[in-house]
Amino acid sequence: METFNYLGQGFGVALTPYNLVTALLGTLIGTVVGLLPGIGPINGVALLIPVAYALGMPPESALILLAAVYLGCEYGGRISSILLNIPGEASTVMTTLDGYPMARQGLAGVALSLSAWSSFLGALIATCGMVLFAPLLARWAIAFGPAEYFVLMVLAIVALSGLANDRPLKTLLAALLGLFLSSVGIDANSGVYRFTFDSLHVADGIQFVVLVLGLFSVSEILLLLEKTHSGHRMVEATGRMLFNAREAASVFWINMRCGVLGFFMGVLPGAGATLASAVAYMSEKRLAGDSGRFGQGDLRGLAAPETAIGGAACGAMVPMLTLGVPGSGTTAVMIGALSLYNITPGPLLFQEQPQVVWGLIASLFVANVMLLILNVPMVRVFTRILAVPNWALVPAIAIITTIGVYAVHATTFDLVLMVAIGVLGYLLRKLDFPLSPVLLGFILGGLMEQNLRRALSISDGELGILWASPISLATWGLVGLMLVLPLWRAWRKR
Amino acid sequence: MTTQPAALVQRLFAGAWLLTCIVFAVIGWDYQAEFSYEPVGPRAYPLLCLGLMAIGLAWLIVRPPALKHEEDDAPMDAALLRKAMLCIALLLAYAGLFEPLGFIPSSALVGSFIALLYGGRPLPAVTTCTLLSAGLYLLFDCLLEVPLPLGVLERLPF
Repeated sequence: METFNYLGQGFGVALTPYNLVTALLGTLIGTVVGLLPGIGPINGVALLIPVAYALGMPPESALILLAAVYLGCEYGGRISSILLNIPGEASTVMTTLDGYPMARQGLAGVALSLSAWSSFLGALIATCGMVLFAPLLARWAIAFGPAEYFVLMVLAIVALSGLANDRPLKTLLAALLGLFLSSVGIDANSGVYRFTFDSLHVADGIQFVVLVLGLFSVSEILLLLEKTHSGHRMVEATGRMLFNAREAASVFWINMRCGVLGFFMGVLPGAGATLASAVAYMSEKRLAGDSGRFGQGDLRGLAAPETAIGGAACGAMVPMLTLGVPGSGTTAVMIGALSLYNITPGPLLFQEQPQVVWGLIASLFVANVMLLILNVPMVRVFTRILAVPNWALVPAIAIITTIGVYAVHATTFDLVLMVAIGVLGYLLRKLDFPLSPVLLGFILGGLMEQNLRRALSISDGELGILWASPISLATWGLVGLMLVLPLWRAWRKR
Repeated sequence: MTTQPAALVQRLFAGAWLLTCIVFAVIGWDYQAEFSYEPVGPRAYPLLCLGLMAIGLAWLIVRPPALKHEEDDAPMDAALLRKAMLCIALLLAYAGLFEPLGFIPSSALVGSFIALLYGGRPLPAVTTCTLLSAGLYLLFDCLLEVPLPLGVLERLPF
């Protein structure tokens, strides 16, 4: 009952005219940003943080804006996947598998509208899950001490490498790179300058926005150069623009299953939408058996990952709000935004700042409805925006990215660093290293080191504290499982 | 790219990365706190990351996996490599010119060159990028109060 009271208060916050306009603007900006290859949800949210701060928005409104942009980007991101076969985000890779073949069959409008509907249902299921489970998890999370947090972060890193895809070693290496990069700068405990090479520009460490925009935007610019070089053509959306009732009914149970699956995958720290969409796609493919035409334009192959992405996008906010652990790259950026407002996400956030938390949850309901209303009728308009040629699109991406980085410290050093990181990101992508783990490692790195050092300070250097409590032991058990899973999978393949 | 060169490229990349790890580990070995009230010093965590990375990279050098290819992946030929280098040089030039030249001129100039690189024709490229730069300046600096350098335009009355 108490939960519903809080939710009511949340709607009181979300439905104020100012926050409604904020959510509407956020969904609009998010959808357009998500549309543009190179500026995915991570970049979209990162770009808007200084804007929200500069506008002097109160924290709950800033968070509503960023959450609406996040959901909007997830909506918009699928459009380039379906029409251009360019997944704007790692999570939408699975969407290309059946979405692009559908577009080539002249069903681009159906694919776009059905994926919007699926994403809406997924997000709706996950938002209900948030209302029911987030406070419970927050209460449970109070039992987490530094040692438990450390083990949880080890789990997040290992979960990424073990389950995420078929390249566990590269995923793990990418995460380790992120963990290491987080140690650059002044050590908070001892004041020692680490790997700064006497440059004051990196004394504060590598700025998160520089890393995000370098890794994702600059590397995308270089990848778009390849697409332009090879004469990659976009697909025209022809035929009908909306799905029909029969098509919606045929994927209804997939929507329900994958919505729940997406929510729980989103809640897992470090797993996020990429993992959720992959698992949803693979499980539905397995369930369909011989009846499926997965990979050739099957509706189920489109609905499954899209519902899961919608669910995971909302689910990822649960660990962000309750534990302070990002459930995805974008929520990692949002934690950075919270810190700008001196808000520390964690178990106490629900008690100390209920207007922020419940305002955000209620605004997710509002943003989802707005997105559906905006997206389905505007499918035709979006396909026209995508007709922007690369020669006009890329300079826009480059300029906006540069503004995003310069806005943080107003130094050109960051711009050069961003280009260098971008080149590294491009090489990593060309060699099949995923980039999201670098980001998650970077965000988790600082927390991980601090918690490890805090735990060992409490125990006076005794390592046993890391597995002393039942929570730590259970989490280590999960870590073991995650490490064994890829080996088991490899063994089964033989 | 056939399997053999792909393996070689991955080995070279992993080798360079491993070498960097070793250099950083040597540098990091000296990190000591002047005085400390905690059992873990400033060097343990980065050295742990570098050590684990080194093990993973050594494994990658020994057994590099096959690279996946997208349907429309362009082969990395000399022309594409030149274009990629030029694009990186343009982005670096943009960083260098951003403050001295100012946001609008540097964005219009470098943006136009980037547009040309991506297949734009000269007149539409220059027109689009100039309008884009001015528009984004108005949006970010004037409306959203994100300060951007005016550079050579500082003497103008706005």
